[in-house]
Amino acid sequence: MRLPPNKRINESAIKAWRLFATLIAVIPLAVTVALFILAYYFDFSVWIGIVALLISLMESIITIIVIPRLRWNRWRYQIFDEEIYIQHGILIVSQTLIPMIRVQHVDTKQGPILKRYGLASLTIYTAATTHEIPALSLEEASELRDLISERARVEQDDV
Amino acid sequence: MFEPKRLHPTAILFFGIKTLRQSLVGLLPVIILALNDGFVLYTILGILFILIVVVGQSFLSWYRFTYTLEEDQLLMEQGVLIRKKRTISKHRIQSIDLTQTVVHRIFGLTKVQIETAGSDSKTDAALSSLTLEDGKWLHDQLKIKQESETSAITSLENSEQDSYPKRVISLKSLIIAGSTSGSFGVLISLVALLTFDLDSFVPESFYNKATTWFIGLAMEMMVLLSLLSILSVWILGIFSTVIKYGNFSITRYDRELFITRGLLEKKQTTIPLNRIQAVGIKESLIRQPFGFATLYVEIAGGEINKNGDAQTLLFPMLKKQSIPTFLKEILPEYQNVPNQFSPVSKRSLPYYLLKMIWLPMLAIIVGIIFVPNWIYIPGIALVGAALIGFSQYKTNGVHLSKEQLTIQFRLLTKETVLLKQQRIQAFEQNQHLLYKWHRLANMKLSVLNNFTGRHYTIPGLEMNLVNELANWFSYKKE
Repeated sequence: MRLPPNKRINESAIKAWRLFATLIAVIPLAVTVALFILAYYFDFSVWIGIVALLISLMESIITIIVIPRLRWNRWRYQIFDEEIYIQHGILIVSQTLIPMIRVQHVDTKQGPILKRYGLASLTIYTAATTHEIPALSLEEASELRDLISERARVEQDDV
Repeated sequence: MFEPKRLHPTAILFFGIKTLRQSLVGLLPVIILALNDGFVLYTILGILFILIVVVGQSFLSWYRFTYTLEEDQLLMEQGVLIRKKRTISKHRIQSIDLTQTVVHRIFGLTKVQIETAGSDSKTDAALSSLTLEDGKWLHDQLKIKQESETSAITSLENSEQDSYPKRVISLKSLIIAGSTSGSFGVLISLVALLTFDLDSFVPESFYNKATTWFIGLAMEMMVLLSLLSILSVWILGIFSTVIKYGNFSITRYDRELFITRGLLEKKQTTIPLNRIQAVGIKESLIRQPFGFATLYVEIAGGEINKNGDAQTLLFPMLKKQSIPTFLKEILPEYQNVPNQFSPVSKRSLPYYLLKMIWLPMLAIIVGIIFVPNWIYIPGIALVGAALIGFSQYKTNGVHLSKEQLTIQFRLLTKETVLLKQQRIQAFEQNQHLLYKWHRLANMKLSVLNNFTGRHYTIPGLEMNLVNELANWFSYKKE
């Protein structure tokens, strides 16, 4: 693999991902609670609920505490004059090169969770692929968006 | 100066047939129900009413549909209730098709389809019926501006004048193409089935002295019948290939490729050279042993066939070793077809095998538990999967020259793809922990074709090689 890109994404990304994972983790917990209630009212083994509780606790710990940190740690990007270089992935590390002249358009997006932390995501589209840098500070994202679209503005005769 | 034009009035017919066909599916059950309940008069009245509506609507759609050829764009207006205007810039056109179905040919008409790289899955502009002269005129007008207009128009009209390189398919290769197409696979599998000991397919409990003879006969009849039907499918496959690709010819002009094909439905396709994203050679399992291959290009736009492939054929059937000469003549930009490929790493073999056999392995484990008598079926699948995995490992490879990256890979069909650096949209390399430890990496290349793009993955390459490829692709050398 090549040398990793030199820039990290915004550190608040970890908080934002944790908040998101927490919201998602409500679902298995709700199922667990439902199992306990069912076990109370009907003739139903409590053990199923206990197993479900253990599984959902494990899942919550992994997705809320472990994964966001690892993910943030791996995420790098670098914008060169002629190409964009991205690295991400926890178990499978992937490095992607996108030539500037292939970029069709760039988006910045901000959902309610990212907004809470003043973050935005940047999506880069080529004619065949899309690539997302998930969490940058809002100003940085807009700057990058303008920078990339500036550099991508080359005569494209073939697409 | 730029006058709006209408389609040929037969377009009313095509509009009408299209609407009828769409509404038939919904209406048929209602009609049958009504007829059963004895509402014959009402049904006939209803059908008449629908017919009138369809005819009126088709007439109005025809009336409202106009196209205008302006300086460097095509403007189309259509729609009865919802008016729609669409402009297509000449500079964004990926390919132009002229199609003549049997009906079109009787009236001397043609259908014109214009493709751009847009994300619309339907054709971007379809003019369902024009006179042939109008169609050809439009076709010539829409081609890229820089084109020296005289050459293309004259050579289009009298194609006997052979100053440009041209290749025509022979009937013999068409028949070979048809007989080795998909339907042949069914034939092979049936023959393979027959050579098996048939008895092993009938569980022993079925054997009963009184019925042995009868079942035997029935089996033979069934086998004979299915053999006959499969044979006819095969022959039909040959016929449909001959009809679809009959008179296939490809001509190279200065800045474009011109393809015509079809015995009943005639189709002409124009592909501007600078729209070609990649060139590929396909050798299916059946064709590869005979040394035959199919040549295609990746372009944005182009038809999607029933297999979901969105590639455009350059030539339906060629001897593999004659491909370089063919390309030299027709598409010299891509004439370098390498023979030697750097193979994938030896250390990747276990991963190739594992990827193919995990599913049959699972089936075997389940089989041992539940139906131990039938264990040989997943057993055969396991051997087959392992063989496929091994041949993928043997086939996959890359070849790098200064201006071209050539990759060779196999799922079942062996494919060789020739790629230029400036046509690759994105380059990705990835590895998981085991790969990192083994110093291996996967490579993924994306090129533009219809809407999702085409993505080529070569797993299990040496990491140094992938780095070298990344350096070739990147503007920043390391």
